Amino acid sequence: MMLALSGCAGSGGTGQAAPPAGPRTLTVWLMNGSAPDKLTDQLHKEFQESHKDVTVKYEVQQWNGIQDKLTTALAGNDAPDIIEIGNTQAPKFAKAGALVDLTAEASDFNKDQWLTSLKDSGSWDGKQYAVPFYAANRLVLYRKDMFEQAGITAPPTSRQDWLDAITKLRAKFGSDPDFQALYLPGQNWYTLLSFIYDEGGDIAKRDGTKFTASLDTPQAKAGLEFYKQLQEASGTKAPKDTDEQTPEQAGIYGQGKVAMMIALPWELATAAKGNPDLTAKSSAFPIPSKKAGTTAPVFQGGSNLAIPAKSQDQDLAKEYLKLMTSAKYQSQFAGAGMIPGTSTDVAALEKDPVTAAMAKASSNGRAVPATPGWATIEAGQNPLKDMLTAYLTGAKSIDAATADANSALNKAFAG
Amino acid sequence: MSAPTVNPLLPAEAPPRAARPQRRFTAQRATPYLMLAPAVVILVALLGWPALQVLGISFRRLDLGELIRGEIVWVGFDNYREVLSDPEFWIIGLRTVLFTGACVVATIGLGLGIAVLMRHLDAPVRVALQIALVLAWATPIIATTTVFQWIFDQQYGILNKTLVALGFDGFAGYSWFTSGVSTLSVIGLLILWQAVPFIAFTLYAGLLGASKDLYEAASIDGATPLQAFRAVSWPALRPLLTMVTFLSVLWDFKVFTQIWALKQGGPDGESTTLPVLLYLKGISGSHFGVASAVAVLMLLILVGVTWRYMRLLVRSQETEL
Repeated sequence: MMLALSGCAGSGGTGQAAPPAGPRTLTVWLMNGSAPDKLTDQLHKEFQESHKDVTVKYEVQQWNGIQDKLTTALAGNDAPDIIEIGNTQAPKFAKAGALVDLTAEASDFNKDQWLTSLKDSGSWDGKQYAVPFYAANRLVLYRKDMFEQAGITAPPTSRQDWLDAITKLRAKFGSDPDFQALYLPGQNWYTLLSFIYDEGGDIAKRDGTKFTASLDTPQAKAGLEFYKQLQEASGTKAPKDTDEQTPEQAGIYGQGKVAMMIALPWELATAAKGNPDLTAKSSAFPIPSKKAGTTAPVFQGGSNLAIPAKSQDQDLAKEYLKLMTSAKYQSQFAGAGMIPGTSTDVAALEKDPVTAAMAKASSNGRAVPATPGWATIEAGQNPLKDMLTAYLTGAKSIDAATADANSALNKAFAG
Repeated sequence: MSAPTVNPLLPAEAPPRAARPQRRFTAQRATPYLMLAPAVVILVALLGWPALQVLGISFRRLDLGELIRGEIVWVGFDNYREVLSDPEFWIIGLRTVLFTGACVVATIGLGLGIAVLMRHLDAPVRVALQIALVLAWATPIIATTTVFQWIFDQQYGILNKTLVALGFDGFAGYSWFTSGVSTLSVIGLLILWQAVPFIAFTLYAGLLGASKDLYEAASIDGATPLQAFRAVSWPALRPLLTMVTFLSVLWDFKVFTQIWALKQGGPDGESTTLPVLLYLKGISGSHFGVASAVAVLMLLILVGVTWRYMRLLVRSQETEL
């Protein structure tokens, strides 16, 4: 409905030539499924009340094809004033000079409580070009009823516990040929990142603005080995050459024959669409670490907010950002089941066992290398996925798979 | 846009007062060109101009930064040097040419077979076949691609399930996408599925052009079916075959949607073809200059491959006029 309303408003929201005088329009692009309507309605009302001559033109964008749309919009003369960008896209636009440097104003945007992973991904060359918005990280969704029947009393809190639980589940339900203790497709690279971080490794090392891939380190290899160990132990029938979206893993969990999957909190709702009982039967725990009692670091996906360099109302845009990043509005994200980007208050997440598991790991969230090359990888061919498939299927040895992925990453980082 | 270019026709006819015969002669000669003009103007505006832009951009460094700042940076042949010095480009180029060739041969062969079959089938069966062909042809590319993804799905695909039911237990959980060759074979099958109907109908139309009398005459002369095909069908089909081969080369060479939708050029880049490379350089990587160079090189390869066909096509049209 929002789209239909804003779609007919003629010229883009670049406002009048002389900023302070006359009515102005602030064009805001947020992504589909990000800020709840209640939040934006309230925020836009408040903003327009305190800025009498300003109209907020709110347009919801689709994720599909957003990079092309942003490229066109940021290069044109009719750029929006506020954009939401996926956290892996920010460095690319920052490096190209498409975004306003917000380093000096950072404290206006609740800087002290910024989520580290989003802060990192919004910075380039020591400057802050994008402000954290909200994030989410993966957890292990599990079936409480199956755990109980298999005699597992508490959710696993270490890798060993996790593997033991799988053994117990398979012993109990293994006679059913459709049963999978853990659904884990070969290309769930977000999960692999957790294991690599947990071993003390990372995808790349940073030196200023230069990134060097580090998948050939012993830590990264150990992470990859654990992925294989887990996949083999899990009895998963998931393909080794697809990610969690083909086929959509929530649909498979929804069939009721899967005891665990590594997922985002809202995937449970998707799974429960055809099988409403699942919501009550499921809970979640954070991805276990190899160190008992701690949780593994997690990859945090999310969004940042930025002001395009070609925005003609940057002063207004900054005031809008200030409001959006205030505790009042950020707390609504926690209520909607997401980790707020500029507030450490996650109390609202702890009410639900699934989002509580996400919140528990959220302080240990990490981001992919903040380099323009990463956007290229995400929009193109991802060497981490190729590495996983090649290693898991036995097409390549661990050394060959990691070396190939390493050089492919370095090529992408070099531009 | 086309209206003003048509209108000059009227004044061109109007002033023939002085020097009548010669003026009228030039006006008459100009008429066909003037009537073509709207189409030509639109083609030049929509195809020619962007093509020239691509050629221009291929000599520039145009990354996201240059695009946003509106800078024009000429780099001479640097983009071409970068593309041509990458061994990957040669592998991908060769793969694309081989893949195109295989697709074209298979499409034309199957299309021709179905066309001849249609000529010999009884009406009800033929109509059923024709409806099936039209349906296969009319389904949107992405829809068909999705259906193929389901068919070939490792766990839930109907193909593996059927094979297992038939007793081939080795196909339980078999992955059809483990290598570039197998992935491209599936993609080729998908392209074949979508391309054969048009070819079959076109060639069938050509066969209908050969009168039944000729076949009768041939059989009275004691010709075997094969001889009748060579003496009667072949002459009717030849110009059409040249045309559909030419068109198939163009279509199969630039296939992108199916390849990208199926495996994004994987596994490990082994089903990456030139259009996919173009996408990776341009859309994913925002190196618009390099991508334009790839586009120009693709055009050159295509011209090289189809040069003979283009000449044949031009010549066969001349003889028919």
